[in-house]
Amino acid sequence: MRPHLKMLERSLIERILDETFTVLESTGILIDSPAGFERLRELGLPGDDATRRVTFPRSTVERAIADAPSAFTLFDRSGEPFTELAGDRVHFVPASSALRILDRSSGEPRDATSADFVEYARVADRLAHIAYLSTAFIPKDVPSDIADGWRLYLALATSEKPVVSGAFTSHGVPRMAEMMSLFRRDREDLAARPNSIFTCCPSTPLRWAEDAIQNLLDCAGWGIPIEVVPVLLLGMISPATTVGALVLHSAEVLSGLTIAQLVRPGTPVLFGGAPASFHMQLMTNPMTAVEALQVYCGYAAIAKHLGLPCQAYMGLSDSKLNDPQAGAESGMGMLLAALAGFNSVSGPGMLDYVNCFSLEKLVFDDELAAHALRFTRPVEVKDDLPTRPLLDELLRENHLLTAEHTLERWPEELYLPGPMIDRTNWEQWDLQGRPDSTARAGELIETALEDYDVPPLDPALDAEIRRLFSSTCNEPGVELPALVERR
Amino acid sequence: MPDYALMNQRVFEGDRESVAEMTRAALEAGRPPLEVLEDGLIAAMRVVGEDFKYNRIFVPEVLLAARAMKAGMAVLQPLLTSSEGDSSAGTIVLGTVKGDLHDIGKNLVGMMAEGAGFQIVDLGTNTSAEEFIAAVREHRADILGMSALLTTTMVYMKTVVDEMRAAGLEHVRICVGGAPISQAYADEIGAHGYAADAGSAVQLFKRLVAPSAPPA
Repeated sequence: MRPHLKMLERSLIERILDETFTVLESTGILIDSPAGFERLRELGLPGDDATRRVTFPRSTVERAIADAPSAFTLFDRSGEPFTELAGDRVHFVPASSALRILDRSSGEPRDATSADFVEYARVADRLAHIAYLSTAFIPKDVPSDIADGWRLYLALATSEKPVVSGAFTSHGVPRMAEMMSLFRRDREDLAARPNSIFTCCPSTPLRWAEDAIQNLLDCAGWGIPIEVVPVLLLGMISPATTVGALVLHSAEVLSGLTIAQLVRPGTPVLFGGAPASFHMQLMTNPMTAVEALQVYCGYAAIAKHLGLPCQAYMGLSDSKLNDPQAGAESGMGMLLAALAGFNSVSGPGMLDYVNCFSLEKLVFDDELAAHALRFTRPVEVKDDLPTRPLLDELLRENHLLTAEHTLERWPEELYLPGPMIDRTNWEQWDLQGRPDSTARAGELIETALEDYDVPPLDPALDAEIRRLFSSTCNEPGVELPALVERR
Repeated sequence: MPDYALMNQRVFEGDRESVAEMTRAALEAGRPPLEVLEDGLIAAMRVVGEDFKYNRIFVPEVLLAARAMKAGMAVLQPLLTSSEGDSSAGTIVLGTVKGDLHDIGKNLVGMMAEGAGFQIVDLGTNTSAEEFIAAVREHRADILGMSALLTTTMVYMKTVVDEMRAAGLEHVRICVGGAPISQAYADEIGAHGYAADAGSAVQLFKRLVAPSAPPA
């Protein structure tokens, strides 16, 4: 049996969903965009012109849930199947869209460049337990109106792995989708073999803003897998209590899922989220608050009840540094995410309320991911029941180090962490020069950069993508940065 | 000429039967026992030591290789002259000190040292100074290794060191280890060496028996 977190009784899930359906059917969702509102009406959702609220009949939502795939495959850059998001299969992914990065030399946050992004993507590509990439932070050396697509281009040009991304503006998705389709035969081929998941965030409470609804409609139109990510603030723009928060959260996710299915039945949608608490004293939004973690694991249970793949912003930290708080919050989040069976866990590498990305943290989180994944392996009998023969051997030999059972099993059973988890004794550590985790991460980063060997993009394709950016950006003819890493 | 490369490989793989058989075959082919020892067995254990140091193999593989080497040694031993027989890395008397029944670390040190070619005389746990001294004399040990896990029993190490001196065994190197032990404590009680773990204990033993090692 795979270890699993049991968060909610089935009867409570059903009550939460009943209330969710009622909210969607009666209160509905505000569509903060005239065009979006009209489009949803065209799709058959009842809407009130005066309030621009659309409502979601229960039968429509239930049909949408049935139409949404319970699993889907992500493909690599060249169109080969890469991984399946299904069941309790967990993938850890860098968190997305930080405004700054933690400078590796100074330890201070600063604006990022394209070269920083290339460095990040090369390292992330090499990390064994980071399943695929994300557009983790925003390079500031290109015009801001193309920054969303530019990040995706940098990721695609640097790694063959899938990418979690998203658009910053209402017109962002089509350009990014056009770019991704250049890696496929055509638009339909991209829908059949997606390389990316796009994040679409409703604006809590119960609202889709203009950019977000357009992104959602565009993603569904292109058949791009979507993660619907509400950002609740418990106690402020959400009930402070878990069950109430789960109703609000589920209503927002299912509104996005229903819209996507109405546009294009079968569009993959992840039941996502980034719920946070509201700090009643500091007025901050801790994403790793213990009550937020309970909401995360609660909606995972709801998603699984509905047979939907799920996503979470877990494994990140609100600390400003790679300090004990960062390790504790990340480790706790990642273990819970793995136990809950989240299919895509965005969080590794992220600090400071999703504002600051740290490459050292990403390397450390890769090790935490290994631990979390290891913990969720099924517990099975492995030639150790009955146990007496093994114990007889132990008592006879005083150890089992050379026992056939140990020799056969230990490489799979006893996990040897990499350098980010220090298992040396004091003397060994002292001999090594007392390296702290930042120093060890630095070494791993350098090794990953040296080992990087992903083939570059075809020059003609690369040139075509760059033309797409320079011709559609608000500063036509702008000189776009070269693809070089920051060394 | 025996295929020493293959024999090394069999030692490395921990194949006891093959190693014993190949040792016998080499002797029957007229090769000198010392050559078989050096080129067939010890050369393999050098590779094992290096691979362990660089994390290419792990404790179980080292112990298996040591066991295979021991199988070859059992064939060679009767044919080695007394001085040749002593040409293995050295003899170590090991034990956990009086009052202390913990022996996991001490056992691991013994196994790893054996893997490095040392002869091990393991006195077990709860060992008195008299028992240590008697074993050192009987086996003409090069090294006495003591272990303790408890702060209440570690003090007995100084008693053993003092009694070894009083017994005229100053030439025997005394090494100490265990969770509460440190280099400072080793220095304080007059031991010749301290190791924090089994791997560094073997390195310490090698240093202490090297011809260039300072006199005890």
